[in-house]
Amino acid sequence: MLASINQRLGLLLFVVAAIYLYLSFQLPNYQYAPIDADVIPKGLGILLLILAVLLFFSRAVETEAEKKKRDIPKKEFGVLATVFGMIFLYILLFELVGFVIMTVLFIFFCSWFLGYRAWKTNVLVSLLFPIVMYAIFVFALGINLPRGILPL
Amino acid sequence: MDAFQGLLTGFQVALSLEGILFVLIGVIVGTLIGMMPGLGPISAIAIMIPITYGMDPAPALVMMAGVYYGAVFGGSTSSILLNAPGISGTVATSFDGYPMAQNGQAGKALAIAAIASFVGGTVSVVLLMLLAPALSSVAISFGPPAYFALMFMGLTAISSLSEGSTIKAMIAAVAGFMVVTIGIDPQTGTQRFTFGNVNLFDGFDFLIIALGLFAVAEVCILVLNRKNRSLSDDQKLGSLRLSKQDLKEMSGPVTRQSFVGFMLGVLPGAGATIASFISYIFEKRIAKNPEEFGKGSIKGIAAPESSNNAATSGAFVPLLSLGIPGSGTTAVMLGAFLVLGVQPGPLLMSDRPEIFWGIIASMYLGNIFLLILNLPLIPYLAKILSIPRPLLISLVIMFSLIGVYSISFNVFDLYMLLVFGALGFAMRIFSFPAPPFILAFILGGMMEQAFRQSMTISNGSLSIFVDTPLPLSLLLISLLSLVIPAFLKWRGNRLAAKQR
Amino acid sequence: MKKTVFASMITVSALAFAGCGSDDTASTGGEGGSFEPSQTIEMVAPAGSGGGWDTTAREVARVFGETGIIDENMTVINREGGGGAIGWAYVHGKEGDPHSMFVASPPLMFVPLNGQSEYGHEDFTPIANMIADYGAFAVREDSEFEDLNDLFDQMKDDPQSITVIGTSAPGSMDHMQFVRIAKAAGVDPTQIKYVSDQEGGALTAVLNGSVDVFSTGVGETIEQVRAGNIKVLGVTAEERMEGEVLSDFPTAIEQGIDESFVNWRGFFGPPNMDQAAVDYYEAKFQELSESDEFAEVRKKYGWNEMYMNSEEYSEFLETEKEEIATLLEEIGLGQ
Repeated sequence: MLASINQRLGLLLFVVAAIYLYLSFQLPNYQYAPIDADVIPKGLGILLLILAVLLFFSRAVETEAEKKKRDIPKKEFGVLATVFGMIFLYILLFELVGFVIMTVLFIFFCSWFLGYRAWKTNVLVSLLFPIVMYAIFVFALGINLPRGILPL
Repeated sequence: MDAFQGLLTGFQVALSLEGILFVLIGVIVGTLIGMMPGLGPISAIAIMIPITYGMDPAPALVMMAGVYYGAVFGGSTSSILLNAPGISGTVATSFDGYPMAQNGQAGKALAIAAIASFVGGTVSVVLLMLLAPALSSVAISFGPPAYFALMFMGLTAISSLSEGSTIKAMIAAVAGFMVVTIGIDPQTGTQRFTFGNVNLFDGFDFLIIALGLFAVAEVCILVLNRKNRSLSDDQKLGSLRLSKQDLKEMSGPVTRQSFVGFMLGVLPGAGATIASFISYIFEKRIAKNPEEFGKGSIKGIAAPESSNNAATSGAFVPLLSLGIPGSGTTAVMLGAFLVLGVQPGPLLMSDRPEIFWGIIASMYLGNIFLLILNLPLIPYLAKILSIPRPLLISLVIMFSLIGVYSISFNVFDLYMLLVFGALGFAMRIFSFPAPPFILAFILGGMMEQAFRQSMTISNGSLSIFVDTPLPLSLLLISLLSLVIPAFLKWRGNRLAAKQR
Repeated sequence: MKKTVFASMITVSALAFAGCGSDDTASTGGEGGSFEPSQTIEMVAPAGSGGGWDTTAREVARVFGETGIIDENMTVINREGGGGAIGWAYVHGKEGDPHSMFVASPPLMFVPLNGQSEYGHEDFTPIANMIADYGAFAVREDSEFEDLNDLFDQMKDDPQSITVIGTSAPGSMDHMQFVRIAKAAGVDPTQIKYVSDQEGGALTAVLNGSVDVFSTGVGETIEQVRAGNIKVLGVTAEERMEGEVLSDFPTAIEQGIDESFVNWRGFFGPPNMDQAAVDYYEAKFQELSESDEFAEVRKKYGWNEMYMNSEEYSEFLETEKEEIATLLEEIGLGQ
């Protein structure tokens, strides 16, 4: 029954709207404002519910261009997920290990993973970029980036 | 004659050796900081404050002003080249600037942005000089009901910001509005959707959303297309050549939007970001060929760029003539004034004419410097695009992360960047347009607050929006702008049906 | 989180070293020996650049350095967010660190009382108060109100007709300073209409007549009063302030309303800061407060001198907090 992509999206958005609406009804009330903090969120929640239903029943047929956009091979999703994973690791560790080291590692491995094989240039860029950025931020602009385990 | 005398004093300050030197330093630092994704005028000014300790206030403030508009000037670079907005005022520039750069015309896109910025900056300085004292009454004419009406007018334009499904555009807008409700509600102090997480109390910074939805989402697309050749061999990449035709095409939007941007900049709270969006929509609405917008239209770059630079000068009206900071950036600017022992306000013009007029006069000079500095840089900047794709992807990710981190130094915000990046990518592949989301995020929060302030003032009566001419006329305009196109379409359909 | 654990491990070990070293030289009589900072002192402004906390921290750090009152370097770092809550949580994670402190003012009470921060002033070590600032209630120049009593009489007759605007959220400073004075004048505190504008539109709304009263800091009003745009009906100081324009502002007390409100500003260390370190800083802050250089700074920003040492400060804060909590409860806000 849920063959159409719009129907699936509509259903998903309906659930999101319902959760948002439920949370809106949990907001405590405040006695001094004629329009309390919950009014607009409730309105937005209901609006999204209606739009989700409209999307579900909309008869708009996907154009070829639209279809092509979401036609992504499984393998490519793996690549994207790995890139996101690398960013996640970067964020997780960068205050602890420090900006320079993490950035060197990130740029080198991310570029290499995505198919950049000119390893000499890669080493050069992944070393120079973080050091230059760190110098600009910390010494020229006075914005502290995490130093981490380096004694600098 | 007083103003004329004052302006002479101002030019004496600006054209002294010291004045020229500090304008130059200011605009160079400003442009460079503005070019870095995530680092905008706020950080640029804050960075410069300690440097000005003990300096003579007039040159110091001339320099600070230079940093400010220099950052706005330079902010378009990364929007155009990388789809990673350097500052919030240039998000709208990426709508057409990035597609044009991807078509192999990066140099041209940057040149259009630079020229539009220059014109916007210069026209608005003229307006500032002529009208600053008179405009201070305009700056305070907007109360909460009028702000509500203005924001409402902006939101009604959402339909014109998107192609394809109207339902999807509306869904994107509602979602953007929902995101801005997260945080502590200013009117009641109620925590909304924060789950008690202190990192969510202030809501999301605009740049997290913009960099996530645009830069990180674009990175995902680049990852998928990483095997396509980069644009490296294209000779035209760095070419600045603008034909007469191009110049003619941008002249209209640039002139109009310099005025629009300036006026919106004058209003406290509106500022460069809102101005750039409104100008973009404005031009798209009146264009003969609106379907070109979003695909690399010259007008689509020229309009927001002239507007955001004009708004920057406009923001000096309430700051200098009233002492009212209309935005986060001018608030920091106000701080810079105070540190130097200068109190901006209604008396600045008579108490310290050399500062008031010195800043204004220096802006002429600053805008010329900016143009001269930026044009020769363009071919080199455009070369960024010839960096091999995998390396470019890593660098854009890095820039986005650094940009977000330097807003708040909060790792939580970095995770949120990742989340909004994923959301932006999902919106891309399922054809939900991002511009309505971001517009609703900008306008929605202010609209809600203005609405509820008005209702508290009026004890819950809606008549407050129609009792005074200003909000009433703004609401009428927005209503007409909704009704007329719909009516025309309906009539067009009927005529077509009849003919058949 | 991991980072803070790591950092405090380092500081703890640094402390141990410092402790060993100072044992030999400990000369001053009494408890715990003396303290000297041995590394850069980190001063946290729990807000972004350019605001009141940031300015105070930067000026204090600058004058400490320039006068040589404290030789060790001081750096100001900004930890913005949650109206201060993020910065407070950050400092709270540095328990016992004698090289860390932050600048604070009444929001350190208001924010936790409104349930928006886990930590309040009692979770930190008060070092010294430095500055006092006061609230002002202003109306447009052509307003019918000439003094606070005019305003409050009208509010007693028809509370719906008056709207007060301020920058902070309800239950925080601009709101509560007004409620406090109005209540003392006999206005029903539950009937006060308050609107918050955090985008810089508060003054604008007063000037264009959208709202009636602006509740703000004294400093924000001076220029507008000089230009003849607004008039100040009353200020929350105990007695007349000194200075041009400022000395024209009548206090609430003069107008027969026996209430005042101080916007204090001072410095706090992390929880369980060593007593020796507190003694050291407290003395240094006193020296700073009495210096000519800092008098200049106060003059520049229109701040008033209000030095309190650690002990006086804690007592003062306790009384303040009780009063505010009672008031918040009365109007049905707060936790």
